[in-house]
This record gives sequence, structure tokens and C-alpha cells, in this order.
Amino acid sequence: MKEIEILVIGGGPAGLSAATAAANLGASVLVLERDGKPGGQLVKQTHKFFGSKKQYAGDRGYQIGNLLIDECEKNPKVEVWTDSTALGIYEDGVVTAEGQGKHLKIKPKKIIVATGASEKMIAFPNNDLPGIYGAGAVQTLMNVYGIVPGKRVLMIGAGNIGLIVSYQLMQAGVEIAGIIEASPTIGGYLVHASKIRRAGVPILTSHTIIEAYGQESVEGAKICQLDAQWQPIPGSEQDLNVDVICLAVGLSPLTELCFQADCQMKYVPELSGHVPIRNESLETTRPGLYVAGDVSGVEEASSAMVEGRLAGICAAYSLGYGTDEAPKLQREALAELSELRAGPAGQKTVKGIMKLMDKGGAAC
Amino acid sequence: MLNKTGVPTLEDIQTVSPSEERLKKGPVAIIECFQEIPCNPCTEACKQGAIRPMEDINNLPKLDLDKCNGCGVCLSRCPGLAIFIVDASYSDTEAIVRIPYEYYPVPQVGEKVVGLNRAGDELGTFEVSKVQSGGQKNKTYTIWLIVPQSLAMEVRGLRLRSTEIQPKETIVCRCEDITLGEIQALIKEGYSTIDEIKRAARAGMGPCQGRTCRMLIAQELAKFYSIPVGEVLMPTFRPTVKPVKLGTYAGGE
Ligand SMILES: Cc1cc2nc3c(=O)[nH]c(=O)nc-3n(C[C@H](O)[C@H](O)[C@H](O)COP(=O)(O)OP(=O)(O)OC[C@H]3O[C@@H](n4cnc5c(N)ncnc54)[C@H](O)[C@@H]3O)c2cc1C
Ligand code: SF4
Ligand code: SF4
Repeated sequence: MKEIEILVIGGGPAGLSAATAAANLGASVLVLERDGKPGGQLVKQTHKFFGSKKQYAGDRGYQIGNLLIDECEKNPKVEVWTDSTALGIYEDGVVTAEGQGKHLKIKPKKIIVATGASEKMIAFPNNDLPGIYGAGAVQTLMNVYGIVPGKRVLMIGAGNIGLIVSYQLMQAGVEIAGIIEASPTIGGYLVHASKIRRAGVPILTSHTIIEAYGQESVEGAKICQLDAQWQPIPGSEQDLNVDVICLAVGLSPLTELCFQADCQMKYVPELSGHVPIRNESLETTRPGLYVAGDVSGVEEASSAMVEGRLAGICAAYSLGYGTDEAPKLQREALAELSELRAGPAGQKTVKGIMKLMDKGGAAC
Repeated sequence: MLNKTGVPTLEDIQTVSPSEERLKKGPVAIIECFQEIPCNPCTEACKQGAIRPMEDINNLPKLDLDKCNGCGVCLSRCPGLAIFIVDASYSDTEAIVRIPYEYYPVPQVGEKVVGLNRAGDELGTFEVSKVQSGGQKNKTYTIWLIVPQSLAMEVRGLRLRSTEIQPKETIVCRCEDITLGEIQALIKEGYSTIDEIKRAARAGMGPCQGRTCRMLIAQELAKFYSIPVGEVLMPTFRPTVKPVKLGTYAGGE
């Protein structure tokens, strides 16, 4: 059994930032990462990120990922195990994992869960035809393996992911037949939308998919317009000739491990699903178990990095590290989070966190 | 409506449009960023202090038109690709619009490309006057387009001309299943007339007798030799104009 002070589950921006922050204060950290390479979602993000300089804004996602990996690798207090999936968190605090084909046991003093999120699916006839992908899968195919999914794509969802993956498909030479969005307005950042629109791709708000069709694989899709009550408008049907349908209809926090660990959970739509209740230090109702990043509410890499740092600092501090500097670092991280969430785009998250913490006042 | 279609409205654009007078003075940034999002690389990029620091990272960028010298650094830094540079002092009739570009292939200097407006509609064909690489790390290209003065505040995107066709999968002669790729390869080898290509590849010897492929091959030859299609030598025409069954002859005169 491996003993360690802090175990971080998930090597995305939240997990890597948590590991570096805790190690910088002196704690020994082990990071478990399911994939062959750490970096999480950042590995496949080829576009420039928003945010401020502190969160590397203006750099491309994968470049930010490489920076975070470098920082971990430079730090002798951090160990990263790739190809290692955490399988369970038990009552006695033991975490089991499958690592490079072996079953492993780990006994940490503190746990930081930073498992990210998983893609949502929607139901429509023939949604199991080959050629229907989640947006994340399309990104992995293209940006990790260099394979385009098809020739002509219908994108479902005009949130940031739908907009960005459409743009990346276009950069790979794939045609986008259109982006449809059931709600009456575009959910993603409008600068992304404008960039795609001026390349000639229609963005159809208040539109949904009726069905996909095809013999062996997708040959087309029927779509229609929705009225103010989200009901299909008769006669508005359109038939699109596409060989790929890409779903970008949102993410859900990947919280199985939190459920297992008996954290008290709450369904908060603003945070995209079931999330663990946690305090300002990101500690859940199970003492010594922290969360950070999309698993605690689907948001952005910028906030995931800051949350990771905050969780790392708090976990190390609770072990007696950084008695002098930790409180100051905590305050800085909290201030950065509220700065990121201060605008209209962050209001939803703030509302969700307030619901989660049952607080009326300011929350972070 | 911007938040329904992705196309900024006239009112949106007016809020960031410099005066005629300022435009005439020389290059200036047009920052088409109309939504409060947590983002500020443009403020950090500007070394002239023309984009004022934001009090709150969610603020909209604010440009000081007098301080901006149109250097374009902000254009290449903006993750939203929302900044353009317009230089209306270029000539009496023409202006330069600089556009961020992240597709392959990258257009060449001197190439004519299709200019697009904010809705992706084509506005005409314009010449590329300069191509700036963003460098190893940044990677965003800046493409300079020469456009008529009247379109300086309209052209915001570009597309390369002839939408690329895959020569290997594009059929030129349907009867004999001959692709554009095969025709192009023959022309390259030196086959310089339609008849030569017909003898080498059988293009034009099928049931339609060349009605589909003849002019397509002529176009390819014209392109290759840079001559008008009308000057391409036509093949010899012989009877019959359509395939005729042997039986027709047997029973006829
Ligand atoms: C298309 C797209 C565009 C985006 N654009 C932006 C942007 O411009 N700006 C921005 O700030 N954000 C952006 N984001 C959001 C950002 O990528 C995420 O919010 C961020 O990656 C969340 O970080 P995380 O560490 O919480 O989760 P993730 O990045 O998802 O990382 C979680 C990691 O945990 C691992 N893991 C999961 N379960 C286990 C387990 N049981 N055991 C071991 N490892 C496990 C996963 O393999 C993964 O590596 C974008 C996201 C997408 C999909
Ligand atoms: S073009 Fe140059 S001077 Fe003008 S705002 Fe941008 S960076 Fe500043
Ligand atoms: S960098 Fe671009 S997207 Fe970000 S605030 Fe400035 S103009 Fe807007």
C-alpha cells in the first residue's frame, strides 16, 4: 500500500494546479491520471484562452496544459502516475486504483478530487447511428489523433464547446452545415459566434433536431424551429445532408467518487448537475476530501486552475504546512475567483455556489 | 441580433466605429467585442496605452482612438479574434483591412481572395497585400486586404477562391469514369489537346460522346496554358452523335 500525504485524483488543470500548490508549501503529492498524458481537457484545446494573464489568457489551451505539466515535473514533491484510474474511495480512507494493469491501494491523509466532467447526451430517434459523436470525442479524434470525423457536420449546441469545436472542425477542413441551439439565444461567448458566423456558418437559435437517419451510418438529419414554449413549429422542418452529428449539449460533473465517499451531494442546475456540498476551502462534508474544477461545478479552465490551487493550499495547510503564507495565498485565490466570476458570464456559477452553500451573501 | 445569430448589429458596430476623420488619419483598431466576458489580453497587449486597463476583468475593452497607432499587436493577441485594423489613409479609393486568420492554407501576397462581411456573405474579390505570421507560439496570421473605401467597415473575413476540389474524387468523364486528377496528370505529362487526351484516356468515347467532359477538359487545358477556353483546339467530330444499336443498322437502309 502506497502512503502519501495528499492524493489528487485527476490530472487536468485543477488537479495539476492543486498538486503544485500543495507541494510548494511542502506537502508530498501523488496525482492519479486516467489518461496516458496529464492535462485533462487542455490537451485538445487548440484555441487561445480567455481570462487574464494570471491564468495564461491569450495562450492556447494545450500550451497552458504543457506549462502546468512542466511545473509538476519540476517539483520533486509531486509524483504523477499516468494510465492510472482511481476506482474507489473506501470508508477507512483507502483509495483503490488500476494502474498500468495492476490493482493498487493508496492510503492518503487528504484527497483532492479533480475528475472533471463528462459529456451529456440527448435523446432523438436513431441517435445510436455511427457518425453521432460527443463534441469531446470529436476533439480527441481531431486534435489528439489527427483524424477528421467526416465531411459535413451538424453541430448541436451553441455554447462555448459547440462554437469552439465547430471552429476547430472548420480549421481541419470540415464543412459545418449549421449550428443549432434549442434556446432562443447563443450560450457561448459572442466573439466565438461572430468568428464562425463571418465564415458563413449559420447559427440557428430556437432550433432542435427531430431525428437522424441513414442506413449504415448518418446520412442526414431533420431539424425544426421551436416556438417560445419550446414546441416544434409545424412546417419549419428542414432536412440537412450531413454525415456527422456532433453533440455539444453540456457537461455533467464526474462525481461518482464523491458519491462513493459519502459526500453530501446536491443537484444544482447552475453547476450542471449533482455536486458535493463544500465550504469555502473546497472541503466536502467528508473531512479531508476536497474538490476542485469541473467536478465541483462545470465552469472554465481559468477557474479550475484557481480552485485547484485553493484546494491544494487548504489541504497542505490542514496538514500543518505553510502556516505563514497559506492564509494569504488562500485569500488571493478567493479574490481571483470572485474576479473571474464577477461578470454576467460568471453570475450563473455564483448563483449555483450560493445555492450549494445555502448562503445568501457573497460566495466563492 | 448578435446573441441570436452571431452577427453584430449596426448599432453594435456604431459604438466602435471611429469618425471619418480619425479613419482618414491612418490605421486604427476596431474592437468588435460586445459582451462582458472575463477576458483582458487586449489591454495587456497594447504598449501604447490605447486600450485602457479594465477595472473589472469583465468590462468591455475601451479604445483611446488618439493613442492607437494601428500597430496590430492587440489583433494578434485577442483570443476572440474580435479585433481588426482599418487603414483608410491607404489611397483615395481604397483602404486596408487587417483580419486575423487561423485556417490553412494561408493566402499568399498578391493572391485574390473572397472578402466576407460579418454574416459570411461575399462582398467581392480583393487582393492580399501583406501576410504577417503570428510566430511559433501565437500562430494567428494577420492578412492585409486591399478593399474599396466603402467596404472598409464591412469586410471582416476572407475565404480562398475556388473552393478546393479533390481532383481524385472528382469525375470529369462520367461515361468512362475518368477523374479530374487523371486529366490533370495527362496535361502535365504533355498531352496538349482534347483529342490527345481522348486517345490516351478514352475521355469522350462513351455513350454521351463527350458532352459532359469536353468542355471540362478544355477548361483544364486553358487553365494550364493560361489561354482563353475559346482558343483550345476542339476535337474531331465524327458520326454518330449518339450510340446506335447494331439492330438499328441491320434493319435500316
Ligand atoms: C471544447 C472546450 C473548450 C474550452 N474552452 C475553454 C476556454 O477557452 N477557456 C477556459 O477557461 N476553459 C475552457 N474550457 C473548459 C476547461 O477545459 C475545463 O473547464 C477544465 O479543463 C476543467 O478542468 P478540470 O481539471 O476540472 O477537469 P478536466 O480538464 O476534465 O480534467 C480531469 C482529469 O481527470 C481525469 N480523471 C477523471 N476521472 C479519473 C479517475 N477516476 N482516475 C484518474 N483520473 C481521472 C481525466 O482523465 C482528466 O484528465 C473548454 C472546454 C472544452 C471541452
Ligand atoms: S493597434 Fe496597437 S496601438 Fe492600437 S490598440 Fe492595438 S495594440 Fe494598441
Ligand atoms: S482580448 Fe479580445 S475578446 Fe478579450 S476582451 Fe479584448 S477584445 Fe474582447
